[in-house]
Amino acid sequence: MSAPGFRMAAPVRLVAVAAFAVAATLIILLLAGAPPLDAVSVILDGGVGSRIRALQSLGVWTPLMLCSAGLLLTFAAGLWNIGIEGQVVMGAIAATCLLRFFGEGAGTFPLVLGLLAGMAGGALWAWLSGALRVYGRVHEIFSGLGLNFVAIGLTLWLILGPWRQPGAASLSGTEPLPDDFWLPMPGGFPLWQTVLAAAAVIAVRIILTKSRWGLVVKASGQNASAAALWGLRPGLRALQAMAACGALAGLAGALQVTGLYHRLLPSISSGYGYTALLAVMMAGFKLGPVIPICFFFAILNVGSIQLPLGLRLDSSLAGVIQGVLALSVFVVAGLELRLRRRKGGA
Amino acid sequence: MDITLREIRKNYGAVQALRGVDASLRPGRVYGLLGENGAGKSTLMRVLCGRTRPDGGDILINGASAGALNPARALAVGVGMLQQDPLDFPAMKVWENFSLGGRGGGRAKAAENLANLSGSFHFSFDPDMRLADLTVGERQQLSLLRLLDAGVRVLILDEPTTGISLEQKEALFAAMRRLSKDENRTVIFVTHNLEEAVDMCDDILVMSHGRVTGEFTPPYSKEELLTRMFGEDAARPVKSSPAAAGRRDGRETLALSGAVFEGEGFDLADIDLCVRPGEIIGLAGLEGNGQEPLLRGLAGRARMKAGRLLLDGIDLSGKPPERFRFSGSHLLPAARLERGLFPDMSVREHFQLAFPELKGAGGTAFMEASCRRFRLPVRLSEPAVNLSGGNQQRLQLALIPENVKLLLLEHPTRGLDLESCRQIWEHLEERCRQGAAILFSSADLEEILDHCHRVLVFFQRRLFADVNASGLSAGALGALMSGQKGEGL
Repeated sequence: MSAPGFRMAAPVRLVAVAAFAVAATLIILLLAGAPPLDAVSVILDGGVGSRIRALQSLGVWTPLMLCSAGLLLTFAAGLWNIGIEGQVVMGAIAATCLLRFFGEGAGTFPLVLGLLAGMAGGALWAWLSGALRVYGRVHEIFSGLGLNFVAIGLTLWLILGPWRQPGAASLSGTEPLPDDFWLPMPGGFPLWQTVLAAAAVIAVRIILTKSRWGLVVKASGQNASAAALWGLRPGLRALQAMAACGALAGLAGALQVTGLYHRLLPSISSGYGYTALLAVMMAGFKLGPVIPICFFFAILNVGSIQLPLGLRLDSSLAGVIQGVLALSVFVVAGLELRLRRRKGGA
Repeated sequence: MDITLREIRKNYGAVQALRGVDASLRPGRVYGLLGENGAGKSTLMRVLCGRTRPDGGDILINGASAGALNPARALAVGVGMLQQDPLDFPAMKVWENFSLGGRGGGRAKAAENLANLSGSFHFSFDPDMRLADLTVGERQQLSLLRLLDAGVRVLILDEPTTGISLEQKEALFAAMRRLSKDENRTVIFVTHNLEEAVDMCDDILVMSHGRVTGEFTPPYSKEELLTRMFGEDAARPVKSSPAAAGRRDGRETLALSGAVFEGEGFDLADIDLCVRPGEIIGLAGLEGNGQEPLLRGLAGRARMKAGRLLLDGIDLSGKPPERFRFSGSHLLPAARLERGLFPDMSVREHFQLAFPELKGAGGTAFMEASCRRFRLPVRLSEPAVNLSGGNQQRLQLALIPENVKLLLLEHPTRGLDLESCRQIWEHLEERCRQGAAILFSSADLEEILDHCHRVLVFFQRRLFADVNASGLSAGALGALMSGQKGEGL
């Protein structure tokens, strides 16, 4: 049963991916009418060119990393948690909701509660998606997609309705939170975000490699039928993995509110849930490569803000490049599979 | 039309499914095709209807070679097969199914053809019903009409009486007689049921080990037929003395009363069963007649719709699988990799999952010792998917906890060589001496007769007989599997 045949060595694969990605990116930049080298240098300069910009990129890395860490758990459980985007949003809503109960001068304690509320909100949203799968036989991709729309709709309704700014309802968001509930950023350094993201990375690593729960989740994801027979309760594991992922996504959302925007915005999640999905798939569902890939995506996101200023290009070009990179990985993986089949003679 | 099969051969890997079959089939007759599991009946019929390409031999139709057949060509020359499980489109309507496989046409035309045909056989159909709402018997009737509409002259029926009602069976037999006698078609009736074959057929062909070993015409001798099906020594009891039937004291390991288990497309109903510690019980019968729902049900993996299940005195009726596992029930599925193991996880991870207490160096030492004991290669980081079939089974055995009370095995030695089989049975019998009860299914009568204290025979999707294995011969067991209950049992 051992599959002999073709397997690319890691460096070969890396070079293949890089070559493909560079070629595809070049074509897109040329089509967009941008001098490729200039575009790359603008993005890099915008992402890490100065201390402030590097810290901004780090600030984007943290929610990406929190979401990716969570997704590693749901992928281990064999689940496609597309709903992560909505879970980020629900985390932001839950945190905002809790903090609105406290007024000025309540100290920093509510801030902690707000982060916990964010985790609970995200976990609840993810649990819903999981429960629909386990009890209702609705695939989590469909329920996740649906719940994403619901979460975004809920944000808009809150911003334009019950939580609108006094005077005029505006898509620019709710009223800013009191200063007490702003996450401290000493010297612009996203200290707490980074600490929490790093903690999530370490926790997920320990869970997946050392803990019995992680082992059971992996087994349930690999073969639910055998897992049921072994008494491992695969349905329960799916719900737990979803809730854990949702909690991390919700925390990311709560950090967006308390650390960055200090209010609820219509696009509070900035699409980081989807970006994290891309990052995790690109990393082959492994924790190690996810970390730098999230950094890279963060730099692209922050750096592309300079594109309209420097080159009169739309900043959405970053998203296109991101997508092309991920596609390159998939194309190379697909090529590898074909070559392996051919050489394996299957 | 006359059909002659000449030297038909078919190999699957090293297995010779057909070793040169010769037969000739004339119109106007009902032919019975009898044989035990794996005799080659189904393969031969699939060759005839073009679904399987033979490795050698020739099919002559009215004396001329038919060349290479595929299902469409076979249908065009007039050979059609009614599958054991209807091959149709459950989500579509009756007339759509009828039209798709037959001569086609829109709703009006198809409905008219269907009404004409079904009237002449005393069947009745609502053309707008969805197929999923029909019974298996009705779907079979529809498939039959569809083949007739397509102009079939040679009709093959593969185990057609499984899962249909008595009235439907009688209607089917009436149709078979009419098609052969009045319409001069050839009907081939593939069956496991000796009684039905004797009643229905003008000719009986018996297959064994990939050959036609006998052709009979009425009056039939059932003994003669059974001997041809199960071999010359079918009458000889395999076991001279029953093995010690374990500890007869103590409470029952398993008590089932009025149990109904959900199978795939049918329910296995009214199971009353009592199993004692140390007993080995074999489940015999044509595959798909209820062995799987029983074994899976006893592990909590098939839904129990009614009845009571006590495992070692604990009521587990309707409980989830983990309760069964923790109460000492343990199932080893036949699909080892698909249902029993985690393909990409290592041998070590399997041990860790099965025995949570294994940790550190002591755990590793235990795993390595266990691998050696079960003759597994000592490579703990090897993923299960890389193990051979035999080693996958050995891994499953190594992962059975010490205190197991009820050990359930689907085809425990399927696909394994003789030495592996011997080792596996040595281990299983050791488990029984320690007080575990074993239930296992097998298509191999020898295996059942060699190891069992008791045999449960499944026939037509119910528990047909529960007999003591001592003094039981292959012939008697074969008779039971063919639906014969009677003298000497």
